[in-house]
Amino acid sequence: MDPIVYVSLGAALAAGLAGAASAFGVGIAGAAAAGVVAEDEKNFKNALILEGLPMTQSIYGLITLFLILMVSGILGGGFKFTADNPDNIVKSAILLGAGLTVGLTGLSAIPQGIIASAGIGAVAKNPKTFTQGIIFAAMAETMAIFGLVGALIMIVTGVGF
Amino acid sequence: METGAVSGILNTTLALIFTWVGYKTSKIIYKYTPYSYPNARIKAMESKLLTEQRFNELAESRNLQNFIVNLEDTDYRDYLAEVQEPDVESVEKALEKALAGTYELMARILPRRVSPFFRLLLEEWDVRNITSVVKAKLAGEPATDYIVEIGPMLPKVKAMAESKSMEEILVILEGTPYEEPYQRLLLGEIDVRTFETELYRMYYGKLLNYALSKKEEERTILEEFVRLRIDRMNILTVLRGKVAKLSAEEIRPMLIPGGSVKLDPLLHVEDLGMALAELDSTRYGPVIRDVREEVERDLGVLERALEGYIIERMNELNRFYPLSVATPLGYVLQKGREVKKLRAIAKLISDGLPPERIKELAGDVA
Repeated sequence: MDPIVYVSLGAALAAGLAGAASAFGVGIAGAAAAGVVAEDEKNFKNALILEGLPMTQSIYGLITLFLILMVSGILGGGFKFTADNPDNIVKSAILLGAGLTVGLTGLSAIPQGIIASAGIGAVAKNPKTFTQGIIFAAMAETMAIFGLVGALIMIVTGVGF
Repeated sequence: METGAVSGILNTTLALIFTWVGYKTSKIIYKYTPYSYPNARIKAMESKLLTEQRFNELAESRNLQNFIVNLEDTDYRDYLAEVQEPDVESVEKALEKALAGTYELMARILPRRVSPFFRLLLEEWDVRNITSVVKAKLAGEPATDYIVEIGPMLPKVKAMAESKSMEEILVILEGTPYEEPYQRLLLGEIDVRTFETELYRMYYGKLLNYALSKKEEERTILEEFVRLRIDRMNILTVLRGKVAKLSAEEIRPMLIPGGSVKLDPLLHVEDLGMALAELDSTRYGPVIRDVREEVERDLGVLERALEGYIIERMNELNRFYPLSVATPLGYVLQKGREVKKLRAIAKLISDGLPPERIKELAGDVA
């Protein structure tokens, strides 16, 4: 494959996978939110906060997409790795790897949605568990943060601005 | 390394990663997503289950009208609104309809792969109603008094209660699974006790077959639920048999196959005390130990303790699998217990008992 295919794939996977996972995560938590609100409207506020947690992975994906497009020159200039030589292949592969890291760790939005969903149910039963529910759901977020940090290191050290 | 080789390795790695991730992700989504809405809704419904304090307030109701008013802010309101002249029968029927409504709601909101189980659970009332009607008819009593307003076969059950002869019941039961055992009862091949056991065997057989047809944690939970219910029924049958001084051979035909407890040693002991001691080494040992003295006086205490154990076990499974069928199963059992208690309170209020006595007796019911 050409280097531009790897770079574009990296950017697309970072935003695409993380975005799709966020959509699933929010969907799962949203269904739970609808369930508790159907029983009591007072649950709306707590459910909304928990429902929004799996959205962050899509933001990390978007940040990575912009970074990959910027360092490769697709955004704001010409593509830097046009020549089909091993160095450019490796650099474009690193960018693909960075995008893939964020995309795959962004899949944590799905289990986060599941945890948030269970948390929404628990909070509806006992509102005192709201903070704990947030903490449990936020634990899944750490994987996405690790992925983002890893991707940043890969981009900065492997390719550079 | 050549460019082509690098590309080849990358492409293969990507293909493998995506296949694995796609498979795992779709599995997780298929497993948990369908439970997201119903289980969260059920949790919210659990928060509305009546507390002990609320039951005490209801016990203070001066009359049935007052009792209905006290339930105005609960889910029973819509069902009780249909009660025109508040008499105990109408209130009981309204409460039974509320319970049936709960099962129907579960069947409606749960994923299609488990919702039929809740419709099957409703068939227990068909079994109870059919046996009650048949027993009442044989005893020459008015059968309508014994009907509980739940069950998919309720119209047929009502028709059975109004039938003029035992043969007419056979016509009503035609085409149902209960036709064959009823025919045998009419022909005198089996007695009414065996007929009842046959019906329960069919019911639990259906539940167990359904549970065993499921996979992974759904199978684990449903199977455990059914086996616990069978155990409860068999233990109570054996102990009642022991109280009535029945032999092992007389008790054995009344047992339901499919339970998890080995009943043979229990059948061959001499009395109730020894049977309870025999149960000590089973999973029900701790439950029985807590109520042992009372059980020797009243087996109803054990019935409630075992029901409580099943609820507790479902709650445990619910904590372990929050997005699973354990949540609705635990809820319907708790709702059933609540309705039982409300019916008892309504009955005691209509009998004119003082609030303190009602609180005491209602506590003994559920």
